[in-house]
Amino acid sequence: MKIIKKLLFVTKFEDLCYDALKSLLVLQRSGLEHVVFLNVIERDKVAMQRGSGFLKEEEIKLKETANIRFIDWAENLFELGLEVGAYMEVSTLIPEILRVIEKESPDLIVIGQSHKSVIKQLYAGSDVMELVRRARIPILVFKHMTEDNLVPEKLFERPMFATNWSDTAKKTVEYIKGIKNIIGQMHIIHVVKESDLKGTDSHEVQKVRKIQRKKLDALCEELENEGIDARPHVYVGDPQSEIEKAAREYQATIIILGSSEKNMILDRWVGSIARNIADKSIYPCLLIPGKL
Amino acid sequence: MIDQRGETMSYKVLVVDDDPDVRSFVVTVLEENQYIPLEAEDGVAGLEMIEKYKPDLVILDVLMPRGSGIRLYRKLKTNDHLQSIPVIMFTGIALRSFLKSQKVLDEFDNGTVPEPDIYLEKPVEPEELIEAIRQKLK
Repeated sequence: MKIIKKLLFVTKFEDLCYDALKSLLVLQRSGLEHVVFLNVIERDKVAMQRGSGFLKEEEIKLKETANIRFIDWAENLFELGLEVGAYMEVSTLIPEILRVIEKESPDLIVIGQSHKSVIKQLYAGSDVMELVRRARIPILVFKHMTEDNLVPEKLFERPMFATNWSDTAKKTVEYIKGIKNIIGQMHIIHVVKESDLKGTDSHEVQKVRKIQRKKLDALCEELENEGIDARPHVYVGDPQSEIEKAAREYQATIIILGSSEKNMILDRWVGSIARNIADKSIYPCLLIPGKL
Repeated sequence: MIDQRGETMSYKVLVVDDDPDVRSFVVTVLEENQYIPLEAEDGVAGLEMIEKYKPDLVILDVLMPRGSGIRLYRKLKTNDHLQSIPVIMFTGIALRSFLKSQKVLDEFDNGTVPEPDIYLEKPVEPEELIEAIRQKLK
C-alpha cells in the first residue's frame, strides 16, 4: 500500500530548505509521486501601511523570490520523475495550509518549527498542534536549521518510535509498516512514568519493567515480521525528557509519535508529550494523528 | 477572418498558467492579434478545457498546482484525440530539466512522447510570443 503518494512541503525558506526536501526523497521508494510546495507570505509583510498603502511591489518581490527558489527545487524533482506543484500566497499560515490540503489532498505535511516564543505559543497555540488538530494528516516537523542542527541526510535510517500503547500508537505502528521499505533500524521506546512506580518496591519496579519489555518485544517481533529491524527500550522518568534522552543515546534520525487530539484545550496550557517534543526537541518529529 | 498575410485568425488558443499576471499578458497578446483566448489556472482545469473546447493551440506552463504542465503535456501527447494539438511550453523551468523529466517518465511509462513544438523560457517579449504562436498556427 502506498501511504505517502503526495506530500505538502510548507516553507518560509529560513526554516525549511532543500536539504530537508532532499532527505525526504527516499520516500519515492515508498510510493512518493508528487510534491507540492507552499510558501505563505504573512500578511503583515505586505499589509497596508500609513502613507504607503498596500505593498503590492513588496508582494511581487516576495512571490518572485519564492518562485525562483521553487523553480530550482522543482527542476531537481522533475528530473527524478516526480510531479511537482507550487503555491505562493499572501495569507495566514494555518488557514492557507488547510485550503491547499482541501485542493491537493496530500498524505503528509512537512513543516518547519514555528519561531513563536513560548509565551506566544501558550496564548496562540503552536502551529504544529493546531495543524494536527485540524488537518488529520501526518505531519513531519523539521527543526530550525542552524549550523549544528543540520537535517540528517538519511532521515529514516534510525527512527525512534515512542509508544504509550494507546489506540493512536497502534495506528502509528500500522503507518510505520506502510513505510517499512525506507526504514533502517527502528528503536521503540516506552517510558514508564515515575508516578506509576510510586510506593512500589524494587521487585515491583522490575515487574513493571518486565511487563513493558515483553510488550515491546512482541511489538518488535510484529515489525520484524514486516522486515523492519526493531530494538526495544524501556525508560523510566518524565516521558518528554526520556524520549529525548533515548533519541540522543541511539542517535535517532527522527522521532515518530502518535498524536491524539484528546484534551487539546488542556494541552494548550499544560502541554502534551507529542506537542512538547514536536515543539522543543532538536530532532525532526513525525506526528501521526489518531484519526487518519 | 483573414489577416493581411492571408492567415486565418479565429483560432482558439488556451493558456494554462497558475499566475494570473502571466495569463493576463498572454491573453492581451492573443486578443491584440485577433486570436480567441481561453484560460485555465492549473493542470486539471487545463485538461478539462482542452477536452471541452479542443483549442487550436495550447500555451502551457510547467510548475502549477493540481497537475504540472509536464504531466498534462504527456496526457495530450499520448491521447489519440488530442495529440495533434500543438503545444508551446511557456515556463520558468529550464528545457534541460523538462527533457530529463520526460526521459525518466518515458522509462516509467515504457513509451516516448515527442518533444514540445516550441519551448519558451519566461520571460519573453510579446513579439517573441506572437511569433511562436504564428509559427504554429500558419
